[in-house]
Amino acid sequence: MSAAKVKMRQKKMRNQPASVQYSTSSPLNGGDKPTTSKGGDGQSDARTSTERSKSSHHKGGWVRGHHKDGGGYAKEMPKYITAGAFARARAAEVSAMLKAVTKTTGSCHVFGALPKHMRRRAMSHNTKRLPHRLREVANRMREKSLQAGSKKKKEQAKSKSRKARRRHGNLLLAFNRRQRKNVWLETHIWHAKRFHMVKKWGYCLGERPTYKCYRPCYRAMSSHCLLQDLSYYCCIELQGEEHKLLASLSQLTSKEAGPTFAAALCLSGRRQGSVMVYRAGQYPSQPLGPVTFLWRPRTQDSTHRQLWIWAHPTLKLDLLPELQTVCQCCEAVLPPVVPVVTPAEVASTVESEPKPEKTPEAKKMTGTKRKRNHKDDSGPPAKKILGDGTRSPNTPVTWKSSSNGIVINDLTMEMVRYRLIGPQSHSVLAETLEAATDCDEMNKSQPSSLWWPEHCKDESKMNLHQQQADVFHILKGIYSTGELPSGTVLGLTVDDPRLTLPTKKVKALPCVKQAQEVDEEKSRELMLRGVPEHCCQSFLWEQSVRDNVTDNKISEQELNRMKSEVLVPGSRLSPTPLQGRVPILLVHQPGKQVGHEMSSWGAGWDVLLPKGWGMAFWVPLVYRGVRIGGLNMSLKHSQNKGAPHFPHDYPDCPAGVRFQEEQEVELLDKFKRRPPAKRTNYIKHGCLAPFCCPWQQLAEEWELIVREGGEERKEDSRTQSTTEADTEMEEMTSCQDVTMIKPPSRFTVLRNRKSVRLLSGWCRPSTSKGQRPCRVGEVPPLDRSAMRSFLTAHGMSVVWVRLTLLSKGKPELHAIVCVPTAEDLKLLKKERGSSGPQEPPHRDHFKSRIKSRKKSSKKSAATSQSSDKTEGKASDLPSASASDPNPTTSEDAKSSSSPSSDLVFGLWPDPLPSVSSHCSRVALGWVTQGDFSLSAGCGEALGLVSVSGLLNTLLNQPVEHRGMVLLRNPSSLQYRFAKINIEV
Amino acid sequence: MTDLRNPGMSSIPQTAPVHTDSTSPAVEMDPVEYTLRKRLPRKLPKRRNDVYVNMKTDFRAQLARCQKLLEGGGHREICVHGLGLAINRAINIALQLQASSQGALQLAANTSTVELVDDLEPEDPDEAGEPMTRTRNNSAIHIKVFYPDPQ
Repeated sequence: MSAAKVKMRQKKMRNQPASVQYSTSSPLNGGDKPTTSKGGDGQSDARTSTERSKSSHHKGGWVRGHHKDGGGYAKEMPKYITAGAFARARAAEVSAMLKAVTKTTGSCHVFGALPKHMRRRAMSHNTKRLPHRLREVANRMREKSLQAGSKKKKEQAKSKSRKARRRHGNLLLAFNRRQRKNVWLETHIWHAKRFHMVKKWGYCLGERPTYKCYRPCYRAMSSHCLLQDLSYYCCIELQGEEHKLLASLSQLTSKEAGPTFAAALCLSGRRQGSVMVYRAGQYPSQPLGPVTFLWRPRTQDSTHRQLWIWAHPTLKLDLLPELQTVCQCCEAVLPPVVPVVTPAEVASTVESEPKPEKTPEAKKMTGTKRKRNHKDDSGPPAKKILGDGTRSPNTPVTWKSSSNGIVINDLTMEMVRYRLIGPQSHSVLAETLEAATDCDEMNKSQPSSLWWPEHCKDESKMNLHQQQADVFHILKGIYSTGELPSGTVLGLTVDDPRLTLPTKKVKALPCVKQAQEVDEEKSRELMLRGVPEHCCQSFLWEQSVRDNVTDNKISEQELNRMKSEVLVPGSRLSPTPLQGRVPILLVHQPGKQVGHEMSSWGAGWDVLLPKGWGMAFWVPLVYRGVRIGGLNMSLKHSQNKGAPHFPHDYPDCPAGVRFQEEQEVELLDKFKRRPPAKRTNYIKHGCLAPFCCPWQQLAEEWELIVREGGEERKEDSRTQSTTEADTEMEEMTSCQDVTMIKPPSRFTVLRNRKSVRLLSGWCRPSTSKGQRPCRVGEVPPLDRSAMRSFLTAHGMSVVWVRLTLLSKGKPELHAIVCVPTAEDLKLLKKERGSSGPQEPPHRDHFKSRIKSRKKSSKKSAATSQSSDKTEGKASDLPSASASDPNPTTSEDAKSSSSPSSDLVFGLWPDPLPSVSSHCSRVALGWVTQGDFSLSAGCGEALGLVSVSGLLNTLLNQPVEHRGMVLLRNPSSLQYRFAKINIEV
Repeated sequence: MTDLRNPGMSSIPQTAPVHTDSTSPAVEMDPVEYTLRKRLPRKLPKRRNDVYVNMKTDFRAQLARCQKLLEGGGHREICVHGLGLAINRAINIALQLQASSQGALQLAANTSTVELVDDLEPEDPDEAGEPMTRTRNNSAIHIKVFYPDPQ
């Protein structure tokens, strides 16, 4: 008998009374194997034992199971039993058994004793679900477990009842608490019910709807209307003398990158402009990001101007300090105490008119709930309208300059901004909004605290309003939003849209009849010229009017009460309540402006509203049959428009860098969540950086390649061969140490309009089927000298390109853009729909290292030799093309990875080898957005490629295949042919 | 999909002097200073039996579409519209339809002039120039393809 068996036996016998024993030597001992009362097994056992007893084969010990060779209990039957001794022995056994039965182990629940059909859900939680007889025990056990548990549970038990929690005041408190970290937009609750919410940029934003609507949303964008809440965009207001403002702002922009803040049409206030902002005076090198801006139209020959700059929240953090420095605004103006006064005053005026007869009634009705009522009187916590995701509540929002009189005002969350995308968005607007109705004579005569009656007294203001209303009326007559000049601004004052809320959701469609009614001449004028300058004025620009409108908004409850009192149910409130006039601004958003196809796709309108009115406009808009899109739809929108999306596609801006880092962490987390055996092995796919693109490294490498190539050519002026890529690779490996020495300058995205246009001309094949060759004449022909002069200016740049796949394939995020070899192009020439070449699979020699590390952590012995051995094996790769860079890379990796401990299976460890020459095709850049494009009907991607690399490639390509590249997804070995387009 | 569109001269930013059909000779343009952007032609409300012919979609596909409307769609008549370069193709489609119906279909053609809008964006460095818009005209054809009434 082995030692384990002995041990086990001891364990079994531990709880047995001392008298109970299995012994081999003395069968007399109380007859511990009773003869008759055992189960089948025992009987057979007994039988065999009796049979075997004749052979008197004694074997010791208590052995489990049936033993052929005469294990078991070799005993003879006792001839007699002493009753006393026997009973005593049994009594001990019985008591041991009872003891074992009554004793409960740790995890035993009371309801375990119940049969299955009597068990109920949540029994351990609510002991009243147990039968009465078990309840006491269960209660005791529950207390015990609660005590054992931490104090967290006790806290939970203290929380208020649901009813209490859902009471209005408490609910608001909870809401305010929950948005302390990430601010909610006004439509948050609406969105939270329907969207997957994400916490981003200090806000809670809807990422995508919970229902499936990818295609419907696309259809809405291209044929009807898609609505988005863009209130998280930050607005910064600048006030001051026009020339001073322009002088300081000109430091931030450059005319080379397109029109600036000073563009004549934008300056007049008739158009919204967009501009790329740089750090002061740093034009090509340190970009911040794109902003849109809006000048307030001039008021009678005053030079004091007002400017709104709208920026993405991630950009605002960089932009605001920059603005403060260029405007020399360093004095923070403490927020005035006025806002506290106005609501109180306003509340009294509002209540003075409709309330008096109402309040006593209400008190009578709620007599039973006096306590609650009393509490309400003391004032429920005010709904927090003021808030901001990008600043703490008590920082100043206004800065003043003592030297040049410029005032910077942070208007973040002061206004609501909705975006309507689609050709029918103007008809949605026309149906939802109605120009404000005039107030009657009686109201005009008496002074009022509201802004509208005051305005009605002024003849000129009413005139303006009338003109604006006329323009808005013409808007109904046009057929598509894209017909208007892009960026048109229209100021307007409208009635509360809740008053005209339809009872049912209806799809807003353009009214053909109305189109004919409207004066043809006027609508033509609108299409050609846009809105006249004075009509762009809106009272939304004025802080006092905004505050007045926000404070005096009729609550939903009050409005419903008024509606219920209307004589004919469902009809419109006849005298529109005075509070229901809202100044708004409509800003036209241009659609697709670049490229040849689908021009003005995705044009639409932005609606700017005073804060607090968000939901009052949101619901009526939704009732006009629009689709609602989340953040992912704005990404798709810009992708289909062919425009870069901030911050995704701005890797040279600080916000873009931050975004990339976040994205890398997120993707890496997702990657690591998979078991290693199920992960994509990116090393084998030859993908160096599947999660974060090393733009800087790429730009540097290409710069070096081109420079080396140029020098060599000067030396012996050898003819350009198709194997240039290979020679370059050799150069690369030979002169890697040079890159280390060279002082690194930051890469930038090429934004110089002229250069981009030049590059765009070079990218096109000069003669192709669809395109007329006449355009070639404008562009200077691409040759070596042109390229050299171009690269001296923009050598370290990357440029935005749009890639269209020729046949099938769907490009994904961070797909690699490569240069096709001459053989690939031949293949393409032979059969146009060819699927493209394949990358030979790479060898993962980090795998063995990871393994060996694992081993070495267990037993630290003799691992270095084995790893070296595998290293030697890995170095001779099957493919000739890939064998060239590998010795260096493996050496690199060996030296680098030995100190670093975070080797992740399937990823290259940190110091990457040469990114451009890692695969069999030379890499140009990566894709930042890629998807199957529903508008083009094929895979489309937007990516960035190195300018030097692109020019070098173009130069070496035959004319008919200019601009042809290969695209490969990070998790695939298949290259696909794609066409490069640079659109300006 | 079936935009009334002039594909050869679709909205490609070009410098101005390429165009000779400017209707406003008063506007003198410096070729360097302006970028031309063409807006889409005005869209008109579309019925189910309107077919706008373009040069991008395959000819056979457009023909099949018309045939489907006439035969499977249950329309007694359809309208084929073509603008500019696509006029030729619109006529082709209509004639093909008629030929394949063995004389059951009849045609009625109308021509018209469509006003198109171009935007001229200034590129001058001092940014004083205002963007201009100009209009030019292009021809269009509208062919009614229909089954004649039985009487």
